[in-house]
Order: sequence, then C-alpha cells, then structure tokens
Amino acid sequence: MSKSTVSTIAAARTHDAAESCWSCGAMRVAQFCGACGKVQPPAPVDYFSFFGLPPKLNLDVATLEKEFYELSRKLHPDLNARAGSKEQEWSLEQSSRLNDAYRTLKDPIKRTQYLLHLEGVQLEEQSKSATEKARATGEVKKQIVPPDLLEEVFELNMQLEELRMEKKTGEDDPALIAEIEKHKAALEQKYEALFQELQSYWKSWDGLIEREQAGQAVPAGERKQALDKMVDVLNRRNYIRNLVRDVNEALEGSS
Amino acid sequence: MSYSDKVIDHYNHPRNVGSMDKSSPDVGTGLVGAPECGDVMKLQIKVNRDTNVIEEAKFKTFGCGSAIASSSLATEWVKGKTVDEALTIKNMDIVKELSLPPVKIHCSVLAEDAIRAAIGDWKKKQESAKPVAAEAK
Repeated sequence: MSKSTVSTIAAARTHDAAESCWSCGAMRVAQFCGACGKVQPPAPVDYFSFFGLPPKLNLDVATLEKEFYELSRKLHPDLNARAGSKEQEWSLEQSSRLNDAYRTLKDPIKRTQYLLHLEGVQLEEQSKSATEKARATGEVKKQIVPPDLLEEVFELNMQLEELRMEKKTGEDDPALIAEIEKHKAALEQKYEALFQELQSYWKSWDGLIEREQAGQAVPAGERKQALDKMVDVLNRRNYIRNLVRDVNEALEGSS
Repeated sequence: MSYSDKVIDHYNHPRNVGSMDKSSPDVGTGLVGAPECGDVMKLQIKVNRDTNVIEEAKFKTFGCGSAIASSSLATEWVKGKTVDEALTIKNMDIVKELSLPPVKIHCSVLAEDAIRAAIGDWKKKQESAKPVAAEAK
C-alpha cells in the first residue's frame, strides 16, 4: 500500500494541533501520531486543518476524496477493535468528524459557507445592524438583494399566485404557464452565472491566503471585502434557489 | 415552533393587502427582500402632502406567516402617523407585539426596512417634485 499522503500533509500542519502523542510522546497530527501511528483524541481543529489543508476555497475534490477514503479505512472502528477502549472511542469520534469534514468540504457551497462561518460572518446580524444604522442615520439601507432582482421575484410570485388560483378552480392558462417557464429558465441561468461569480471570489480569497502563507500581511479591510463579496453572491443565489423551488412546486401537476 | 395568536390572526386576516399606483407622486413604495428565507415584501404608503400624514398603507408579502404578519402590522401602525413618526417604528416593537421567536426576528427587520424604503421613495419623489427649490440652493 502506498505510503500515506495523509501523514505528509498532516505533518505540515502539526503546529496547529501542537500536542504530543498520548502514547509515544512524539508530535501528533490531527488523527494519528506521526511516529507510532496510534489514533489520537479528537483535537478541536477546523475542517480544513483536519485534512491538513490551508483555508483555501479552490481545492482538488479528487484528492480530498482519496484522503477521505484512506482516513476512513484507518479510523474504522473495526480496525481499532483490539485497541484500548479509549482508542476505540477516539477512532469513533474521529470517524464522525471525518465524515462531517468531508461532506462540508467536498460541496463547493457548503465549503464557502463553512469558511464564512469560520471567519465569523453572521448573515442575519449583518442585516440587523444595517437596519439599525439606517435608523440612526436616516439613510436608506442598501438592500442585499438588488432592486431589479426583487422586482423580478415579486412579479414572478404574483404570477405563481395566479397560477395556484387557477389550479384551484380547474382553469388552465397555457400562456401564463409559458410565461412562468420562461421566467424560470432565466432564473436558472442566473443561478449558474452566480456560481461562476462565486468562483472568481474564491480566487481572490485564495490569493489572499497565499500571501499570508508567504508571510505578507493582508489588511483586514481587504479580507473583509473578499468575504463580503462571497456573502453577497450566496445571498442572491439562495434567493433564486428558493424561488425556483416555489416555481417548481406551483408548476407541478399543472402541465 | 408555533405561531402566536396575533401572528395567526394577521396571517388569516391580513390588514391592508393590495397595491396603489406606484407612479403617483403621493405614493411611496418599498420593495425589500430577506435573503435568509427568500421572502419578498412590498409596502406602499400614501401621504397627505399638506400634513405629511400617512393616510393609506398597503402591502403584499410573499413569505412565511411571520413575514406576512409583520408587514400587516406595519401597515396598521403607519396609518395615521406622520412620516417622521412612522420612522420611529423599530423592528423590536413588532417582535414584541407579535411575540416573534428569535428565528423570525429577520421578518420584523424586513418590515422595518419596508417602511423605511417606502418613506425613502416618497421623500425622493418630493425632492424631485421641487426642482426650483433645489436650484435656488
């Protein structure tokens, strides 16, 4: 079997979980001791660190998957059946953490949301404090969802309401359905485009992390700007996703 | 989670549902949305140009019960108030009145935003209706 890639990448991150192995005293890594290979008690590290990765958003999912399977095998409770009860418990905990970490990181949107969470971004708080600011200054609050999208959403909701009414009375208006379908197609296109946009912000975020790794100081404002852009695009995307879901529900059974 | 009686009442009997002519100079329109849930809320006010009193308020909200109740209540509250009085309405007032749970606070924020947006729209119209005053500045 190939020598574990896990131990090599994990070795690069030992400083974060800088503790020593409970068994042999050597430096430990997130899951196993680098020296004696024994399973370690779960350390409170984030999911990126768990896989020995920097907090960058462009990641190679194929490599992640490979590491996930390798770690899964090693942490499998059956394999640790002959170990002490402490070790068995740890391997179980580590396994479940591994699953959470993998599920979160492999999905591009969940990964982004997780990073925002790590960076302390609170979506609802942002909206609330913006309202409070508007109250204090008398300025009009800048809406997260751009006005033209709101108009579109509102109009489409009106049409959906009409469609639901018609369905109740058994009427059928093909022109209305065609109109809604057209709207839906446009929204789906927008949804795709937003993912592209998000990826462009990944790039700027990753560039920032790389600069930090190279020892350069990154101004806090720049960091915040990169995060804000991601929040903004995710918000718009959520909005459209919910709307498309509503459209699908309303269209169901009407064709 | 269950809705409070007041939320259910507003949901079942929403006050002031409807719309007014967006292009009328006396009408202010606020259209806002909550990205957390995808709700969209439109609130319109009609203001007496002599007294600045909000004489009529209408809303249309697509969203959950709390969002509908918050905007319904908002239209009730702004009616009869002057524009400046209406601006003192805070989201927490709505939260208290409707006993909204913490997860639904964003609905009340949305309602306050809608009031502010409608008033902001109306104010903008008043300013652009007075080009002479603006030039004299």
